[in-house]
Amino acid sequence: MNDDATLRGKAAVVGAGISPTGRVPGKSPLALAALAAQRALADAGMDKSDLDGVLASHAFASPFHRFSVAFSEYFGIAPTFSNTLQVSGATAATMFNIAAAAIATGLARNVLVLGADSLLTGLTPDLALRSLSESRDQQYEMPFGIPVANTFAMTAHRHMHEFGTTPEQLAEVAVIHRRHALATPGAQMTAPITVADVLNSGWVTTPYHKLDCSLISDGGAAFIVTSAARAKAIAGRRAVYILGGGECYTHEHIFLMPSLTTTGAKRSGELARAMAGVAPADIDVAGIYDCFTGTVIMMLEDLGFCRKGEGGPFVADGQITHGGAIPCNTHGGMLSFAHPGMPGSMFHFHEVVTQLRGECGARQVPGAEVGLVHSLGAGFATNATTILGTEATL
Amino acid sequence: MIDPADAHRKPLPVPDADTRAYWQGLREGRLLLQHCRACGAVQFYQQALCRACGAEDLEHRPASGRGRVHAFSVVHRAPGPAFRGDVPYCVLLVELEEGPRMISALTGGDPMAVRFEMEVELVCEPQDDRISLPKFRPRPGTRA
Repeated sequence: MNDDATLRGKAAVVGAGISPTGRVPGKSPLALAALAAQRALADAGMDKSDLDGVLASHAFASPFHRFSVAFSEYFGIAPTFSNTLQVSGATAATMFNIAAAAIATGLARNVLVLGADSLLTGLTPDLALRSLSESRDQQYEMPFGIPVANTFAMTAHRHMHEFGTTPEQLAEVAVIHRRHALATPGAQMTAPITVADVLNSGWVTTPYHKLDCSLISDGGAAFIVTSAARAKAIAGRRAVYILGGGECYTHEHIFLMPSLTTTGAKRSGELARAMAGVAPADIDVAGIYDCFTGTVIMMLEDLGFCRKGEGGPFVADGQITHGGAIPCNTHGGMLSFAHPGMPGSMFHFHEVVTQLRGECGARQVPGAEVGLVHSLGAGFATNATTILGTEATL
Repeated sequence: MIDPADAHRKPLPVPDADTRAYWQGLREGRLLLQHCRACGAVQFYQQALCRACGAEDLEHRPASGRGRVHAFSVVHRAPGPAFRGDVPYCVLLVELEEGPRMISALTGGDPMAVRFEMEVELVCEPQDDRISLPKFRPRPGTRA
C-alpha cells in the first residue's frame, strides 16, 4: 500500500446488472456474462461503445483462458484495457479495486467488471466440485481427497475448538441467509429453513452439513465503473463510490496458513478501512463471502465487526440481519441466493450497491450510506475488501 | 475445463524438480523435511530456497514421523466419484514434532474418533510403484 496515494472517491459504480441466476440451462458463461452486461449498461444509460475497459473473472465452464478477451469479441467491443483475474473467490473485490485504480491512473474511462459461470448446468455438480478441488495443490493436498469444503471446514472446526463456537451458531448463519433470500426476487432457494433442518441435512465434511455449504449455480453479474466526475454527471445520487480497497495473501497451501482462525481478511479490512477513512462501526451494510457458514463467523471477527472468538454469539444475537449491528448478505448470499463460483461474490456487490442506492425495497437497510464487501477464496489464501459509499460519504 | 473421465481417477502427485527427493524418500519410508544450514529453519514442502532467508543450502533430514492433529475434517461427501468409495475418511492437518504442518489423511483408525491435539505417527502407503503417500495413524496408546 502506498500511503501517499488513495483511490478514495476516484471512481464509482454507475451500472449494475445480473443475468438470470440459479438453474439456467442452455446458457454458456459468455451468454450469461453478456446478458448481465446488457443490463448493467441499460442501468447506467450507456451503450457498449462507451466501454473501453473489461475486467473479468475466469469461468470454470468456459474453455477460454482469456475470458475478458473472449467476452469482448462475443459482445462486439474492442476495449483498450482488459484482464482476466484469478485469485479465486477474492477476484470480485480485486476487480473493483483494480477498475478504480485503472480509472484513477488514466488506463481506462469506463470499465465493465464482470463474472459469469454455469457450474450447475454447464459443468454438473460433480465436475464443478472436482474443478474447484483441482485448485488445491496436486502434490501435497489433492491426493488425500480434500474437497473444496474441507479446507474451510478445518478452519471452522479449529474455531469451534479454540472458541467454543457451536454447530447451532453455524446453522443460524444459514437460517438468516435463507430468510434474506426469501425476500429477494430471483433467489435460488425459496423455502424457509430452521436450525434443526441444517443440523439434520447430512454431513458433507465435518463440521459442515449440507446446509452449511453454499449453492452450486449458474449466473453472472456485471458492473460499470467510471470516474467520479462522470459518475456525478450521469448517475447523480445513484452513483456508488469506491472509498477504499485492500487485499492480503498470507499463504497458498492450507498447511502454511499462519493461523487457522485469524485470516488475511484482518489486514485487507484494515487497509480498506484506512483508505476509506471509516471504522467498522461506520459501516451500515456488508456483503461477506459466505461460501460456508463458519466463514461468515470468522470474517465478522477479522473485519472488526465483533471481537475474535465472539462471531458465533454475535450471529445468534441477531446482529447480522435487519435491525442488527451489521446487516450482511441481505440478498441471501451464496448460501441461499446463488453461487456460480467466481461470480458468487459479485452478487454481494450487486446487493450492497443496490442498498446504497436505497433501491432494495422491503429488504432495504434504512439510511445505508457506507457498505463493505469482502471476497475471499482458496481456504482463506486470498482476501480482498472493497468499501463503497454514497455521494454523501465523499 | 475438466474431462468427465478424470473425475473417476484419484489424483496422484507428479513429482517435479523441487520435490523429487521428497517423493523418493516416502517411497523408502522416510518423510523428508528441509533444514536450512544458513538460518536453521525447518520447512515443508520441498523447494529450491529457504522460505525464511532465501539460502539454497538446504539439507533433507527425515522427520521423526510423530505429530499432533492441529485440525481435521471427516469427509462424508467425496470431491467427485474417485473418492466416493472411501467415505467417511478423515483429512488431517498434522503439526509435525519438528514444527511444520502438512495435509494428510488418517489410516488405520476410526475417523469419527479423531480429536484435536491427538498424537499420530507416519505411515507411508504405496499407491503404485512410484508414489507412496504420507498418511498418519493414531500413536499406540492413543484412542482413535
